Amino acid sequence: MTVFLQTLVSGLLIGGIYALIGMGMTLIMGVMGIINLAHGQLMMVAMYITYAAYTFFHLDPYLALFVAMPGLFLLGCAIQKYLLNPLMDVETIIPQNQVLMTVGIAIVLTEIARFIFSSTYLSVRTGYSTKVFFLGGVSFNWPMTIAFLLAVALTVALFWFLLKTDLGRSIRAVAQDKEAAILMGVNSRRITIITYGLGAGLVAAAGCLLIPIFYLFPDIGRPFTTKAFVITILGGMGSTVGAIFGGLTLGIAESLGATYIGMSYKEMVGLIIFLTVLIFLPGGLKRLTKV
Amino acid sequence: MRKGLAGITLILTGLVMCAFLMGPALAQETLKVGIVLPLTGDQAKFGEIEKQSFDLALEEINAAGGVNGKKLEFLIEDDTGRPEIGRSVAEKLITKDQVVMLGGGYASSTTYAVAGVAQQNRVPFLINTGSADDITEKKWDYIFRINPPVSEYASGLETFLAEVVKPQSAVILHENTLFGTKGAEAFKKDCEKLGIKVLMTEGYEAGGIDFKPVLIKVKQANPDIIYMISYVMDASLLMRQSRELKLAPKLFIGGAAGFTLPEFAKNAGAAAENVVSATLWHQVLPLPGSMEYFDKFKKKYNKDTDYHGAEAYAAAYVIADALKRAKSLKADDIKQSLKETDLMTVFGPVKFISYGKKTNQNKLTTYVVQWQDGKMQLIWPANLSKVKYVYPVDWLKVWGY
Amino acid sequence: MKRNQIINAVLALVFLLFPLAVTSDYYRHLAILALMWVVIGGSWNLLAGYTGQISFGHAIFFGTGAYAAGILADKLGLSAWWGLALGGPAAVLMGLVIGFICFRLRGPYFALATIAAGEICRLIAVNWESMTNGMVGILLIQSFRSKVPYYYLALALAGASLLVFSLVMKSKWGFYFVSIREDQDAAESLGINASLYKNLSLAISAFFTGTAGAFYMNYMAFIDPEVVFSLPYISIMAILVAIIGGVATIWGPAVGAFIMVGIQETFRSAIFGLAPKWVSQSHALVFGLIVIFVILYLANGVVGDWPKIKRLLVRSPKTGDATWLSLKRGKSERPSEG
Repeated sequence: MTVFLQTLVSGLLIGGIYALIGMGMTLIMGVMGIINLAHGQLMMVAMYITYAAYTFFHLDPYLALFVAMPGLFLLGCAIQKYLLNPLMDVETIIPQNQVLMTVGIAIVLTEIARFIFSSTYLSVRTGYSTKVFFLGGVSFNWPMTIAFLLAVALTVALFWFLLKTDLGRSIRAVAQDKEAAILMGVNSRRITIITYGLGAGLVAAAGCLLIPIFYLFPDIGRPFTTKAFVITILGGMGSTVGAIFGGLTLGIAESLGATYIGMSYKEMVGLIIFLTVLIFLPGGLKRLTKV
Repeated sequence: MRKGLAGITLILTGLVMCAFLMGPALAQETLKVGIVLPLTGDQAKFGEIEKQSFDLALEEINAAGGVNGKKLEFLIEDDTGRPEIGRSVAEKLITKDQVVMLGGGYASSTTYAVAGVAQQNRVPFLINTGSADDITEKKWDYIFRINPPVSEYASGLETFLAEVVKPQSAVILHENTLFGTKGAEAFKKDCEKLGIKVLMTEGYEAGGIDFKPVLIKVKQANPDIIYMISYVMDASLLMRQSRELKLAPKLFIGGAAGFTLPEFAKNAGAAAENVVSATLWHQVLPLPGSMEYFDKFKKKYNKDTDYHGAEAYAAAYVIADALKRAKSLKADDIKQSLKETDLMTVFGPVKFISYGKKTNQNKLTTYVVQWQDGKMQLIWPANLSKVKYVYPVDWLKVWGY
Repeated sequence: MKRNQIINAVLALVFLLFPLAVTSDYYRHLAILALMWVVIGGSWNLLAGYTGQISFGHAIFFGTGAYAAGILADKLGLSAWWGLALGGPAAVLMGLVIGFICFRLRGPYFALATIAAGEICRLIAVNWESMTNGMVGILLIQSFRSKVPYYYLALALAGASLLVFSLVMKSKWGFYFVSIREDQDAAESLGINASLYKNLSLAISAFFTGTAGAFYMNYMAFIDPEVVFSLPYISIMAILVAIIGGVATIWGPAVGAFIMVGIQETFRSAIFGLAPKWVSQSHALVFGLIVIFVILYLANGVVGDWPKIKRLLVRSPKTGDATWLSLKRGKSERPSEG
């Protein structure tokens, strides 16, 4: 029983971080229909910023949230404004140019990071990195638990933002029906810029929360990008609640897969869920609810 | 379409022009040896240590007169950690740069691919790190290897286990590339030989975040020893998370690789303490020049070296020695000269023999180290070590519980 | 049109005589790789550029073909050359399965599904060790020591693929493919069996990609899951080859293949050894920058935006040319254009 509970807890805690990663992606996909293949790399940039803040300014990663999130927000806005929005003007045969642009951005971000920091594995080891507490024989890693709680907090904040503020409502409007939103006076260009920035900011938070328990190197982004769109599809494009459930589901499924099927199959579990949902439940978990 | 053809013509003309401009290599003023290493990508760290060791050795060799008066040159090419690039690079070194032989070979899969090229082109290849057994089991006579194959990595551990630890059961965790898989197979056989029951063998894809699901299964199985074959970051996480789960067997043992790097202790922190590992080399071993090499490396590059560096450094000397003794610079003469190698290096004695299914393999024993107070100490064989091993270990106490 | 024929003839001659004129194995190798990418890029272009199904998983077909050849040689002891014949059909079968699963999806969902399918194939190859040797991969001995036979084989493959793609796009099928790309529902309402034609396009695309994979197995003599089922190095590379060259053109992927292979190696080798070492370190960065640049300014690729490039280089704009203007605006080529 302990094995099962420990597995469940592990999956849940990492699911919180996954949810943050997924939330950013689902916003971007929902509003702009862009598959952001640079998502993991944006997280990587945030992690390097956190690392630099820790190494040079002795700033705790949790405080670095206030540096990395706005930083990535700005970077995201810039990317959307100068690299992605212009593509919407060019009529090309294949509408997926935006996706390939994000591939190019991902490569450039990775290589710049490699150039500055080299391929060395870096880590931020704080005093609390390996602190644990036990509840009934099940081990809870402190940083992961805090990450989970912070993820919940950020989710609530995002929710409030989308539901209660004008800007949030405009974003949702563009996600639902771009043309109608424009007719209603929403500046869709501005919205896309802010949305990408927002997505980047969220994944930056995930990076800050991840760095005390994992490590950092330039190529760290790719598997997270894959996870991001698995979660997005799982939860339903554009649905933040869906992303939360998607993230938790993925985390738990991976954990259970690792324990009961075998660790080397962990990645496959996520992908198979992904394909299954894509085929049989194309709207994602969102379809099962009214949200 | 006009446009397309024009485009292709332009490009092809450019290629052809390049081909003619960079034609044959310049006259042999120096002896060129091609070295294939990962300089970019995720294996870059090791490639760097080996390159630096090659450079260090090269300086010394050339300062001492080079090879029979001629200057020795290492053309170090980046295989980017991918075997197909390694293959292309090896071909380039052989056909374009006209090297007299090849060296290097870090990752097993890349080494394997490069060895295929070398054998086919009948160019001698001296491997110094790639450890999959298969590579020297193919009866490829142009392939030589100075490092032990992964199946022998744990040979030094055998007596340690038999005389000191005496475990009844074991669990093996390994990363699932060639290196980890073969290492796990080999250790399993060792366990059978020693009468240790292997309760569980689990492979994993390197780079994971959360090993707790597997570790909790291990905790339930309650083995006496846990043997892990991992690259450095996985090794750190495995130990950190074992500590978080209070998973406390009698002993944690690493199969070299990640467990012997300074990064392991740096990243695992308290969780690295008292972890034991097999190793292929340690600077305190009574091998001529090993401590000097360690110090020289530290002085020049301001960081610690490890067995990978020693392998490269020794390989450089073996190459120089073989080239000095070779009757000519023809491939077959170099091959013959390599075969006749009998040299003492900082890595150990080098003599290529055939045993079992293997050919041209240097046979060395391995040793056992243990992390004590953040330093990697040689603990076994007892007559060579300066420090005593710590066993049994009260893990919970060591971990601060 | 005579000028066209002369250019064609010259080009054909250059390619046929290349390995005899250039004796360096290094450059022959680059040419062989480029020719292989002509096939893969062109195949992707057929499915994505002409039929509008943007696949991010072409590595599936490449890997299937490669492993078909490899497993035959490794497990059954047959010559891997049989794989050249069987790699294509194996990939087609795989393609039909993928089509069955993924074609019900549109747009970004289809793309994502192909990414997932590709990764699953890679993981299967890693874990099904009894068949594929897992991460160890399959290592064979090359049949020919010289590169020349491989070159001609690759050339034949590239030529065959270009011929087939050209013929297909000139035929009725070509029209159907483009109509599906432009508006699948409208096409269906006109009585075009979209499902059938999508699968046909996929079958042809998979066939050539799979054959290229089998060729790769024979030529490189080493494959493993990371190499042949790779998302960035095979799937995305195929897309970039086609896009940089020019989607929905027959020659686009061919041009793109040479550009991509050329640029990659130029930078990896620090401009063939002429530039300082750090240039080699930056090869991936340059690659990424090129991708961004091309997509921003040359979205239709070198071939598609050739007029634009000419104008920038030659500075003598030809005004009032309807064909070029329409190309600039990026409308689809009529299937009759080569």
